[in-house]
Order: sequence, then structure tokens, then C-alpha cells
Amino acid sequence: MTPKDLIPIIPELILVLAACLVLVVEPFLSKDKTAVVAIALTAFLASAVVGLGLSGREQVAFSQMIVLNDYAVFFKVLFGVAGALTVLMSPRYLETAGRHMGEYYALLLFAVVGMDIMAASRDLIAFYVGLELMAVSSYLLAGFLRYQARSNEAAMKYFITGTFASAITLYGVSLVYGFTGTTNYEQAGAALAAGGSTTGVALATALVLVGMGFKVSVAPFHMWTPDVYTGAPTPVAAFFSVGPKAAGFSAILMVFLTVFAVSSPTWSVLFIVLAVFTMFVGNAFALAQKNVKRMLAYSSIAHVGYLLAGLGALGRSDGDYLAGQSILLYLAAYTFMNLGAFGILAHLKTQRPASFTYSLDDFAGLARRSPWAAILMALFMFSLTGIPGTAGFIGKFYLFNSVVQADLAWLAVVAVLFSAVSAYYYLRVIMYMFFREPEAEFETGESISGPLAASLALSAAGVLLIGLLPSWVWSAAQNSFGNFFG
Amino acid sequence: MDFGFADQIGFRALTLLTFLPALGALIMLLFMRGRPSAYKATALVTSLAAFALSAYMLTAFHTDTAAFQFQENFVWIQSFGINYHVGVDGISMLLIMLTTFLSVIAIIGSWNYVKDRELAFFISLLVLETGMIGVFTAMDLFLFYVFWEIQLIPMYFIIGIWGGPRRIYAAIKFFLYTFTGSVLMLVAILAVVFWFGRESGTMTFDILTLQNAGFPSNIQFWGFLAFFVAFAIKVPMFPVHTWLPDAHVEAPTAGSVILAGVLLKMGVYGMIRFCIGFFPEMTVKAVPWVMVLSVIAIVYGAAVSLVQVDMKKLVAYSSVSHMGFITAGLFTFNLQGIEGSVLQMVNHGILTGALFQMVGFFYERTHTREIKDYGGMARPLPVAAAFFSLFVLGSLGLPGLNGFVGEFLILIGIFQYMKVFAVIASLGIILGAAYLLWMYQRTMFGELTNKKWLDLKDLSLREIVTLVPLAAMAVVIGVYPQPFLQMLHAPAADIIARLEPFMAQKESLVHMASTFLGGF
Repeated sequence: MTPKDLIPIIPELILVLAACLVLVVEPFLSKDKTAVVAIALTAFLASAVVGLGLSGREQVAFSQMIVLNDYAVFFKVLFGVAGALTVLMSPRYLETAGRHMGEYYALLLFAVVGMDIMAASRDLIAFYVGLELMAVSSYLLAGFLRYQARSNEAAMKYFITGTFASAITLYGVSLVYGFTGTTNYEQAGAALAAGGSTTGVALATALVLVGMGFKVSVAPFHMWTPDVYTGAPTPVAAFFSVGPKAAGFSAILMVFLTVFAVSSPTWSVLFIVLAVFTMFVGNAFALAQKNVKRMLAYSSIAHVGYLLAGLGALGRSDGDYLAGQSILLYLAAYTFMNLGAFGILAHLKTQRPASFTYSLDDFAGLARRSPWAAILMALFMFSLTGIPGTAGFIGKFYLFNSVVQADLAWLAVVAVLFSAVSAYYYLRVIMYMFFREPEAEFETGESISGPLAASLALSAAGVLLIGLLPSWVWSAAQNSFGNFFG
Repeated sequence: MDFGFADQIGFRALTLLTFLPALGALIMLLFMRGRPSAYKATALVTSLAAFALSAYMLTAFHTDTAAFQFQENFVWIQSFGINYHVGVDGISMLLIMLTTFLSVIAIIGSWNYVKDRELAFFISLLVLETGMIGVFTAMDLFLFYVFWEIQLIPMYFIIGIWGGPRRIYAAIKFFLYTFTGSVLMLVAILAVVFWFGRESGTMTFDILTLQNAGFPSNIQFWGFLAFFVAFAIKVPMFPVHTWLPDAHVEAPTAGSVILAGVLLKMGVYGMIRFCIGFFPEMTVKAVPWVMVLSVIAIVYGAAVSLVQVDMKKLVAYSSVSHMGFITAGLFTFNLQGIEGSVLQMVNHGILTGALFQMVGFFYERTHTREIKDYGGMARPLPVAAAFFSLFVLGSLGLPGLNGFVGEFLILIGIFQYMKVFAVIASLGIILGAAYLLWMYQRTMFGELTNKKWLDLKDLSLREIVTLVPLAAMAVVIGVYPQPFLQMLHAPAADIIARLEPFMAQKESLVHMASTFLGGF
């Protein structure tokens, strides 16, 4: 290691230092945790800004384990923004739940460090370390409301399935090492390619795919998702639905495009099959939900299905990264709209901690009670549906375009038909908010304010900005693959 | 290619026209909350200004060319060849006039109609107007799709918030039907753009460029199918019409006026622009099928209208029948058929808009739409009955009123295409006369069965103000349709020229179809 090796990980260093600082400062604070929140927020924003500053640079560090390129930068910035938005929506929620503690922010920071490493790794070991750092922090975050049975259940489920998934991934990784004698992506990929596509390679591919499939909740490995999202604190569920998921996809893209390049026909077919099944499961179960938080959990599975269709297309388009670029754009769009939707849930929960149960009935007449919350929620729902003018449409447009261009028009048809199904359950939320009258006398409650308002405003701005002027994100996504193998 | 018509008016008229209503809505939202007179006045002024602007554009419009006029073209998303490209030809110009005209009527008509969340209602109407104008001006597929979907949202809210008792069901049904069709169209859009990009090396969403792409037959088939289904749902054609009665019955009056008046026309407009424009070969092949579906819609819609007990539902089903005439006329692909079809879109917008408006006025007085609750209404409401008779007569095709001109031209067109269809379609006209006159008789004439209607107030000045322009247009087009048809000559000739090369195949298919039907 040389001092120069530290340059690619400056954003991560900032986050680690901030996490340690949070843990040191925490004991000296009384009830007011503003200082901790400020540290975490600053660190996330700083990591994103520094990440932006690093764009265009290329460097290999730590004996080729970590790289700095625009691909890594894209995710550093995305995760920094996601972290910042999560921090902003957390304080009020945690205060209401009576668990506003500094550790929460430290865990969040550590999780993002793990995510950053996953996106920047060029080595299966580094990738695995990042994965575990993210996962362990996530288990703790899921159980952060430890006096609530639901939260405990979420942590336990997440931990058991997560560990299981990690183990499967690791088994696939060890197979690769056994075949090739190296854990470096390019070298392992070259060695596997030299050996040709054998049953062993197919097995390794399948194992990593299943393991990572658990992490990003691909059906049929999705069972934990609804329970964990429902039980975890709402800001944490928001973070889970975008952060670890995007990190999982960043690693999947990298690993499958380099290590398993030789078996791309195999994994392409696998991803296509899983895509159809995941879209089906996510959308069909989301239709049946009366609880909005749980509906959003299934909806996140459905969106994974769309992303998998992109992966299927990627495996078939040789040397053309259009589908990969579209996946990146989709992840960015999804981050803003989903954080926004969960942010509204967090707001409503803090507004009425006792009576709000996330059920659809609680949304009846929301447009009268708090018009702004209803309007923003409608925007996020329209975006998740994929209505033009919003980020969700741009994401789907680019993604399905790449699917069509890989000669998979039928898959695009399946995907848009599932989008039409999804319109029903997203619009149902709008229907309750705007078309129904509140069932009982309602207290007006506090309007959205403070950091949460900032989080929602930024999410909405992101949704509209990507929706109307997508070129800047698109060029960032394109650049990410410009020097993909740099 | 047609950029000679880029700057014929000295300013960016189409962009201004498209976004003027939305701008008015924004001003109302920001500065006029809680001040009904201010925001209502702004809504009215905005819609009037849009109408005035579209009328002013007409003065600079060239009727002797099928080229697109008032074009504006800016890069939007460069890497995908997506532009903000707008322009109009005679067909879209006429439909834009209809849109701005009916929007004014709808706004005046609902002046006192909405009690709850009134500001949001007028904002929805104006945003809807922007969406509709955008659909008719877009010359870029991406832009078209954006407007096509965007206009769903205000209509969804208009039905869902201010509609009748089953409004929620109707709103969702309306949204899901159109949305399902649209997303399939989206895949077709991506597919045609991809194919053209691969063949030519440049990716573009430009409609004019893609119109001359010459797609191969598999793209023609699937592309036509996807676009056609999306538009057929909107028209709506048999058998995907089932959302229409629900949406119409539940929508507030202004919603029905706009829905029948303009939104349905977007479907036919889409067929003209895209099915014919992109897939001429497949369009010609599809003619017999479209004809059969249209004729079924004509007769079926009329027959169902005959048995309706609810006035609004009757008018809604009559729309299915009338829209059947319009699609049938279009797909004859002769001059009379096409011109009659587009003119009939305008006529139907005026007449059905007026009928819905009147049913709304009756409902505001009696709070019922059941035909059996009425009877002898001409006594307390003589002025209303007079207007109602004019629109009913126009709608059933009385010579001298506008409905006749359109239907007549369409029938000539169908007759040239195949006589048997013309005969069946005429049956629809007879049935139309039957259900409309029967409804009129049962509601307006006879004994005043319900004595409490005796002291109902006749139409107010405001209500008359909304009806007079509609009545005037019905008479003007009925007596002197020439200026309107003048605008359609060039575009219609262009459509025929586009399809001419494939017509030879049509003859054999016509032959096949007529053999199939037993000949005539």
C-alpha cells in the first residue's frame, strides 16, 4: 500500500471517520442529538461531493483490489445522496419511537462504506468484505427498535436469511478461486474464459447468483423482504429498499460482466427467467396488500424484476453496455422516488404515532388533512408507476429500450404489462388520499417540517429533474461504463 | 424537410398555446388560493386567451399544403435523438381549435357546478387542456407519449374527485384501460425507433423521419397492432369500449364534455398520425377488420342506446356508435371518407359536448338523470327544450346541421368502399334517430308527470352563453362546411397518396372480405 492508494477511498475514509466521531461524541450528548445528525449528514454530503470531484480519474489501488473509475464514482455519489436523505428523515421518527441514539447514524455510515466498497471492488475478497460490512450494519439497523417485537423479528429474519445468502455467495466465490487460483475479477474471468464454459463455472455462477439474489430480493429468494421492511424502522426500510439493493446490483453487474463473462449466455437466460418470475411475484402480491409499507416492500421486488430484465438484456448484448447504463439510471431514479414514498410514511407515523398503522384506510382523505403530503405522495406513486414527467418513467423508458435493443421485445412487453398491473396498486394509494373521505374525525396534525421536509423536497426535486431533464444522469451512467475496464 | 413553415407568425405560437393553460393553472395555484372569483376569472381568461391564440394562428395557416406548420424544434435528450418538436397540419389544427373551444365552454359550464375543492378542479381542467393540445402538436414520438400519458392524470382526478357515486371505480377503470394500451404502444415505439436506428445509423424519435422509414412487414404487423390497440381503447372501438359508459356517467359535466369532445378524438388522431403514417402497408391490410369492428360499434352502440334509462348513459353509448362512423369513414381511405371522418370528429365534439352539457344542466335542477323521472319538461324549461332539440336533431343527422354533413360524407366514403357496410351503417343512423327522438319525446314532451318540476327555473344567462356558441357552430358547419373541409383537403390527399402504393393488395382483400360476407 502506498499513500496514493488512499485517494480512491477518500469518500469512504470520510464516512469511517465520521462514524467513529459519532461514536465518540455520542456519550457526551444529552437528549439533543443534533450534533450527531449534523456529523452524519455532513459526512454523507462530503463523500458525495468528494466522489464527484474524483470523477474522470482512474486508479487501481490496494494490489488491484479497489479501483477508482466513473463506475465506482457513480455509486459513491448515489449512496452518499441516499445516506443523506435517510439521515434527514430519521431524527423525528426515532424521537417519536423513543430510540434516537447516535449508534444509528454510525451504523448507517458503516453500511454505506460497505456499499461503496462493493461498487469499487475488483476482487472477490474485497467485494465480500464490503458485502458483509453492509449486511452486518443492516441487521442491526433492522432491529434498532429493539423493544418492538416486529423490529426484532425483522432483524432476526434478515440476519438468518442474510447470513445464509452470504454463505452461498461465498461458496460460489470459493469455487471460482478453486478453478482459477485468483480472486481478482479480470484474472479470474480470463482464467475461466480460457477453460471454457464448464459445469463447474455454471455452478459457481448459479451460486453467486442465488446468493446475491437473496440480497437484492429476487423471487423466489424474496421471502424475507416484506417482513423485514414492515418490521424495520421506516427510515431504515427506506434505506434498505434503495441502498443495499443498489449496492447489490453494482456488484452483480461487475462480477457477472468480468468474472463470469464466459458464461454470459447461461446467466442471461437465468436472469430472464428470474425477471419474469420476480415481476410476477412482486406485482401479484403487492396487489393484495392493504398495508402501504408492505405494498412498497412487494413493489420493490417488482422493480427488482424490471432490473433483472435489464441484466438479461446485458448478457445478450456483447460488448454493448446500454443495458448496464440503463440499470444505473434506473437505480438513481428508483432511489429518489422510493426514498420519497417511504419519507411520507415516516412523516405520517411521526404525525400520529399511536393511530397510524400504514394501512390504506389511514390514507383516506389525506388530501384534506395534509395536502402537501398527499401531493408529494401522489408524485412518488406516479413515478413508481412510470408516468412521463417523472424519474420512474425515464428509468423504465431507458431500461425497456435496452431490453428491446437486445431483441427481447417480448420481455419488454411482459414488463410493461406488469407496469400496467402496478398502476392499480400505486393508484389505489392516490385514490384513498384524494377520492375517499376520512373515516373518523381527524386531527390535522403537524405539517411536514424540519429535516424531513428537506428530505422530501430533495426527493421530489430528484424525481422531477430526472423526469424532465434526464441527460445529465444518463451521461453519468454512460461514462460509468466508458472506462469500465480501466 | 418542411421547415419553410417554421416562423409564419413571428413568435413560438404552438409552445405558447400548449403551455398557456398550464401557466394559468400555476398562477392560480400560487397566488389565488381561497379567492374563488379571482381564480375562476383567471381560468376563464386563460382558456379564452388560448382560444383567441388558436384562432389567430388560423389566420396565418396555409390550407393548401399537407406540410406541418408553425414548427419548432429543439434538442431535448440528445443521446437518444429526442427533440421537443411541434407542428400542426390541417387535421391537428382543427382538433386544436375544437380543444380550445370546448375548454372555454367547459369552464363556463362548471362555474357553479363544483362545490368542493373548486380551485383544484379548474387547475385540473387547465392542465388537461395543456395535455390535449400537446398530444395534437407533438411531432416527436417521445414528446407525444409524454403528453398522451400526462393528460390521463387530470382526467383521473376529475372523475375520481368530482364524479358521481361510482366515481372511484370509473376513474380507475378509465386509467387502467388507457394505461395498458399505452404501455404496449411504448414498447412498439421503442421497437420502431430501434429498427430505424439500426438501419439508418441514427436514433431518432422524429415522426416525420419515421413516417418515411419503410418498416419491414414484421415491424409493420406488431407495430400496427400495438399502436392500434392503444388508440382503439381511446376511441373507444368495440370491444374495448366498456370503460366509456362508466367514465361518462360518473364524470362531472365538464369532464364528460371534454372526454367526449376531445379525448376520444385523440384515439382517431393517433390512428391517422401513426398507424397510417408509420405502417401504411399493414393499415391497408387491416381495413376489413377495422370496418367490421366499426360497423359493429355503430349498430351495437345504437342498439344499446335505445334501451338506456339514464340520459347520460344514453349519450355515452351514442358516442360509441358515432365514433364507429368516424373510424369507418377514416378507414375507407377515400377523400370523402377521410374528410367526413375528421369533420365528424369536430361535429361530434360539438354536439355530444352540448348534449352532455345539457344533461348536466337538467341534472343540476332535478338531481336525476332517469328518463322516466322527466316528461313534459318543455313546459317549465322552454328555452332549454329548444336548445336540446337543436342538439338532438344535429346529433341524429338532420340536414342543415353539422352532424348531417359529416355522416353524409362518411356514408359516401363507405359506399365507395363497400356497399354492404354502407347499408349496415345507415341502419345505425335510423336507430340513432330512434333513440334520440324517443328520448326527447319522453323527457320534453307529454304530460308533466312530476308536478314538482313545474317551478324549475329555465336556463340562466350563463348557461345560455355556453350553449349559444355550440349551437352556432352546429348551424355554421351544417350550412357552410367549406372552410372546414378546405383545411382537410391537403392532409387527406396526403394520406391517400401515402396508402396508394399498397392499395392494390387491398382490392384482393376487399374481394376476399366481400366473398366472406356473401357479396353484395
